[in-house]
Amino acid sequence: MAADNRYEEEEVRTDDGSPITKPRPIVRLGIFLVAHSPVFSVVFSAAGVLALLLLPLLAKNTYISENALMPGSARSMLSNRDASDGSKLVKDIKNFRLNHEGQVQRLIGKYMSEMVAEVYYQKFQPEGNQFHPLHFFSGPASYTLLRNVSCASYGVNVVGIIRAPRGDGKESIVLVTPYDFINGGDYEDLSLGVVSSLFSLLSRVTWLSKDIIWLVADSRYGDYRPVAAWLAEYHTPSFKVSDQLKCDELNTADNFRRAGTVAAALVLKVDGRSERFEDILSIYADASNGQMPNLDLINVVNYLAVHRQGFHVKVEKVVSLLSSSWLKIVGEIFEAVGKVAHTLNPDWKFGIPAAEYIEGSATLASSLYSQAFGIPTGPHGAFRDYQVDAITLKISPGFPPDSKARQHDFFLRGSQLLEGTIRSVNNLLEKFHQSFFLYLLTSPSKFISVGVYMIAFALLVASLPMVAASLYVDGCKALTKSTHNSAENFKSWKWLDAAKQVFALHLLGFIVTLLPYFICQVPGQHSPRNRSIMWGTTSSLLLVTFVTIPGCSPFSSRLHGTNWAILKSVTISAAFIGLCLMSIINFATAEIGALLLVPTCLLAQPIKPALRSRRVKSLLGAFCSMVLVTIGFPVIFFAITKGLVGEGLVGLSLGGEFWTWLESLWAWKSATYLYIGMVHLPCWLLCVCILFHPS
Amino acid sequence: MKEKKKDDGEMAEELEKNSYRFWIWSIASMIFRFCIILFPENINLSSRPELSTPLTSLCRLAEGYWLKQASMSPYSGSMYHGSPLLLSLLGPLTVHGIEGQWNHHLCSLVFVVSDILSAVLLRATGQQLEKAYRLNLRRLGLLKASRDRGILPCGDIAALVYLWNPFTILSCVGLSTSPIENLAVIVSLYGAVTRKQLFERRVPLAAFGLIMATHLSLYPATLVIPLIFLLGYGLDAPPRKLFLQTRDREGEPGQDKLTRTTQLPFLWKTVLHFVFWVLVWSIYVLVLCSLSLKQYGGLEEMFKRTYGFILNIEDLSPNIGVFWYFFAEAFDFSRNYFLIVFQIYMFLSILLPLARRLKHRPCFIAFVYLAFSSILKSYPSVGDAALYLSLWALFVNELTDMKHSFFIFCGYIGFSLLSPVMHNLWIWRGTGNANFYYANAMGYACFQFMFVEESVSAMLNHDQALKKATAEMTKN
Repeated sequence: MAADNRYEEEEVRTDDGSPITKPRPIVRLGIFLVAHSPVFSVVFSAAGVLALLLLPLLAKNTYISENALMPGSARSMLSNRDASDGSKLVKDIKNFRLNHEGQVQRLIGKYMSEMVAEVYYQKFQPEGNQFHPLHFFSGPASYTLLRNVSCASYGVNVVGIIRAPRGDGKESIVLVTPYDFINGGDYEDLSLGVVSSLFSLLSRVTWLSKDIIWLVADSRYGDYRPVAAWLAEYHTPSFKVSDQLKCDELNTADNFRRAGTVAAALVLKVDGRSERFEDILSIYADASNGQMPNLDLINVVNYLAVHRQGFHVKVEKVVSLLSSSWLKIVGEIFEAVGKVAHTLNPDWKFGIPAAEYIEGSATLASSLYSQAFGIPTGPHGAFRDYQVDAITLKISPGFPPDSKARQHDFFLRGSQLLEGTIRSVNNLLEKFHQSFFLYLLTSPSKFISVGVYMIAFALLVASLPMVAASLYVDGCKALTKSTHNSAENFKSWKWLDAAKQVFALHLLGFIVTLLPYFICQVPGQHSPRNRSIMWGTTSSLLLVTFVTIPGCSPFSSRLHGTNWAILKSVTISAAFIGLCLMSIINFATAEIGALLLVPTCLLAQPIKPALRSRRVKSLLGAFCSMVLVTIGFPVIFFAITKGLVGEGLVGLSLGGEFWTWLESLWAWKSATYLYIGMVHLPCWLLCVCILFHPS
Repeated sequence: MKEKKKDDGEMAEELEKNSYRFWIWSIASMIFRFCIILFPENINLSSRPELSTPLTSLCRLAEGYWLKQASMSPYSGSMYHGSPLLLSLLGPLTVHGIEGQWNHHLCSLVFVVSDILSAVLLRATGQQLEKAYRLNLRRLGLLKASRDRGILPCGDIAALVYLWNPFTILSCVGLSTSPIENLAVIVSLYGAVTRKQLFERRVPLAAFGLIMATHLSLYPATLVIPLIFLLGYGLDAPPRKLFLQTRDREGEPGQDKLTRTTQLPFLWKTVLHFVFWVLVWSIYVLVLCSLSLKQYGGLEEMFKRTYGFILNIEDLSPNIGVFWYFFAEAFDFSRNYFLIVFQIYMFLSILLPLARRLKHRPCFIAFVYLAFSSILKSYPSVGDAALYLSLWALFVNELTDMKHSFFIFCGYIGFSLLSPVMHNLWIWRGTGNANFYYANAMGYACFQFMFVEESVSAMLNHDQALKKATAEMTKN
C-alpha cells in the first residue's frame, strides 16, 4: 500500500487549479513526480523488473522460528521391528491382490485395528467440483452440496485414529497416503509401508499429546478429491441421511470419528524411481490461490530430511529455465557485480555464483507459476481451506521396488523422518504462527519473504498512479480549453463520463466472467471447443451491444467531448486498484498480471495521430503498444506461455485447451479466474479502445 | 413575455421527460433488487459484517422474535438489540417457512418497498431544495432565465443515487434493517422541508420521523438541531448577509415584498409546534414499547439493552467502524474514560461548531451530521454510508467544484472492495489477522472524513463565490 500513499500525496495537489503559496515538501515531491511522470514511470517499471530479477539474490536462509519445535532433539524410537511391520503389510497387500479382487480397504483396516487404532470407512462421491464464481469470498463450509448420488461409483477412504495417551483429544495430526485400491502400483504400496511402520511405533509411544489420524485416501478419483471429501465431513458434518448408505458394501453407517482440530497434516507419496542412486524427497507446498503452509513446517521436514535421514531434498523447478542462456548472462553479471562489490568492501556479500542464481530463478519461477495458477500442487491443498498447514512429501526411492534389503532401510528412514516431524508438531502448544505464511521458495532451504518480494511489485505499479494523475491534469486542461462553457460548471467532475465507460466495460467483464456458469447449464454434451466458441460468440455479441449503447461506449465519446487522456487516467486507476487488490489475494497472479498490464496501460495511446504524423518515434510507440495489446489478450498469452513451457500449440485446438484450463481454475476456486475476467479483460479492452480512439 | 412562456413550456416538457426517465430507472432498480433476492444462497450476504451489525441484522431479529414467541424476553442472551416495535413489525415475517429456511422474501419485499419510498421522499425533498436554490439565486440577481438550465434536478439525482448506490442495494438485499432506519431519517427531513400549504410545514411528520429514527438507532437524535433550524429559519439559503446587501442595492419600493421574505425571523411558533409533536410522539413510542415489553422488564430493560448497548459498545465483533478493535485492545480500567471521550468528541467538536458555521444550510448540516455519525458510530454498516451519500447528492448544484472528487471516489471503491478481501484473509485463510481488517476500516474512515471535509469546504467556497459575485454586482 506504499504506492497508495504516494497516490494520496500526488492527488493532494493535482486536482485543484489554484496555486497554494507554500506547499509542504511532501506535496512538492508529489508534484515533481507527477510533472516528470514519463521519466519516472520508465524508471520505476525498469526498477520493478530489475527487482524481480534480483529476488534470488535476496533470498535468505530458512531458520526454525518456533522454539518449541526442536526438530531432531529427541532420539528416534523407531526400531527394526516397526519397519518389518511395514514390510509385512506391503507383502500382505501384494498377496491379497493376487488372490482376491478389491476390498484392500478391509485388509488395511484390519492392520490398523491390530495396532489398537479406531478404524472407520468413509464413502464419498467422486465429482463435486462445480463452477461457482463467487465462492472465493465464502468459507469452505457454505458449498457442501447434497445431490442425488449414484451407487455406481463412489470412493472409500480408510481412516485410523490413535488416541494420544497424554492428550485430551482436542488436537490431532493427520497423515495421508493416497492409494489406488484397484490398481495401486508397487511404489504406492511403499508409502503404505512407511506410514504403517510409523503407525506401529506411535501406537506404543507415551509421548504423544495429539491424536494421530492416518487417512488412506482412495486415489482412484484423483488425489485431491478424497481428502477434500474427508475434510468436509470432518469439519462440517451433514445431518441429512446420505443416499450413499443405501448402496452399501462396507458398513460405514454413522461411525465417523473425529479427533480434535488438525494441527498439521503430512501427505506421503512414493512414486517412480529416481534417476540417482540416493532417495529424492520433493516437497510440494502450494495450496489454492497461492496460499502456503507455515514455513516452519517445511523447515522442520527439510532439516530432518537433510541432516538426519540423508534424503536429497528438492522443490519444483522450471526445467527449461536451467538451460536458458539469457538467465545465465544475467546470473554472471550479478556474480561479477557481487565480486566487484566484495573487493570494494569485504562486508558486502550479496553476490552468489551464477549456477546458484539460475537454480534459484528456476525454482522461483516455478513457485510463482504454481501460485499464480492458484491450483494446489497436491492433496495438501485441501487442508489449507481449513487453515491447516499441510505439505506433500513425494519420495522417489533410488532402488527398484523388489529390493527387500533396501526396502527395509527405506521404511526405517522414511518413518523416522515422519516420526521426527510429528514429534516436533507434537511439541507445539499453539497453531503454527511464528514463521512466515507469505513467502516464495528459491530452494528447500532458502526463501524470500513478503517484505522483499512486495518491493518488486510496488515498484512496478508505482508508476500507475503517477501517470494517472498527470494524465488527469492534462486531460482536464484540454477539456477546459475545448469546451469552455459546459466545463466551467463541473470543474472537478469531468471524469464522470470516462468513469461511466470504464464501469460499463468492467460490468461487461463481470458478465463475461459469469457466462461459463450458464454455458455449463446448456443441456447436451458439448466438447470444450464448442463451449469456448459459444462463450466467445456470446461475449463478442455482448461487447457489440455495449459499444452501440450510447453513453457507455468509449467510441461515442466524440459526442460527449471526453478526451482519451481522462479515459486513460481512469483506466489506469482501475487497473491500479485491481492489481493492488489482487496482490493481497494472490501475489504471484498480481505480479505476472502487472508485468503484462502495466506496460500495456502505460503505452496505450491513440494510433491515429501517430500514423498521421509519420514520425519514427510515434510509429514505434504505436507498434509497441499494438504488440503489447496483442500479447495481453488472455488467450494469446495462454498460447505463448504454453509455447514457452514447451507444449507448442497453435490452431483450432487452442480454444478447447483454453476452456479446459479455465475449467481447472474454477474447479479450484482460483481467484486468478476472477482477476482475468474482472480486471485484466476490461483493462485490456479499454486499452484497445484508447488505441483506436477517434481523437 | 412570450419568450418566457415558451421557455416555461420547454421546461415543463423537460421536467416531464425527466420524471419519465426517473420512474424507468427506479423500476429498473426494483427489478434488479428482486433479481438478486432470488439468488440469495449463492452470495450469503446477510452474514457479511459490512452489511449487518448487531443492531441491524435480521437474523438476530428473527432470534429475538422467536424468544418472544417462547415467552422469553427478546433481549435475553445477547442476540437482539433493536427496537421492540420493529420486532412486532418484522418479526411475523421471519417465521419459519416450508423448508426450514425463514421466509426472507417477504422481509426483502418490505426492504425494497422502504427503499423505493425513501427514494420518492428524497426526490420530493430535492425538488423543494432545488426550487429554493433557484429562488435564492434569483433574489441575489445571479440567475438569468437563460442560465436556468444549468441547474441540475438534484431531487432526481439524489433519489437515483440512493436507489442505485451499491451500498443501498447490498444492505437492502443483505437482510439488514438499515433501509427502514434510513427511511425514518428521510421521512423526518421530508416533513421538515416540504409544505402542505404555503407556510404550514408537515411538522408532525418531521417529528415522527425524528423520533422513529432515534428510537431505531439513537444517533439520528443529532438531527434535532438541523430540523429546528429548518423549521425556524427555512430551507437552505446563502448567508443572510448577502440578501441584506442586495436589499441595500435595490432599495426600491417595488422590492419590498421580496426583502421581507428574505429576512425571515426565527419562527418560534413552528419550532414549539415541533417540540410539542416530538413530545407527543416520544410518549406514544414509549407507551407502545412498554406495552410490548410489559412482562419482560419493561422500558428499563429496553433502554439498557438497546441504547446502553449502543453507547457502551458491548459487542466487539468486527465491523467497518473504528471502535471495535480499539475497545478490544483497551484496558478495562480505561474503558469508561475512552467511552466518554469518544462519545463526547462527536458532540463537542463536531455538532456545535458546525451548527454555528453552517446554520444557514440546515439540510447540509443534516448530511454532515449523518456522515459523521456513520463514521463514528459504534456499529456502522454500509447502509449508513448509503444514506449520507444520497443526501450529499441533494447538493450537487452547490458542490460542483468539490476538490479531489476522483481521488475520493477511487478510495471509496478501493476500500469497499478491499474489505471483503481482508475479511477473507483473516477469517477464512488465517494468513492475515485482525490488524488487516482494522487497517481497512481506518482507511475507509479516513476517506469518509476526507469526503465530508471536502464537501464542507466546497460548500463554504460556494458561499464565498456567491458573496464575491454579489459584491461585484453591487459595484456595477
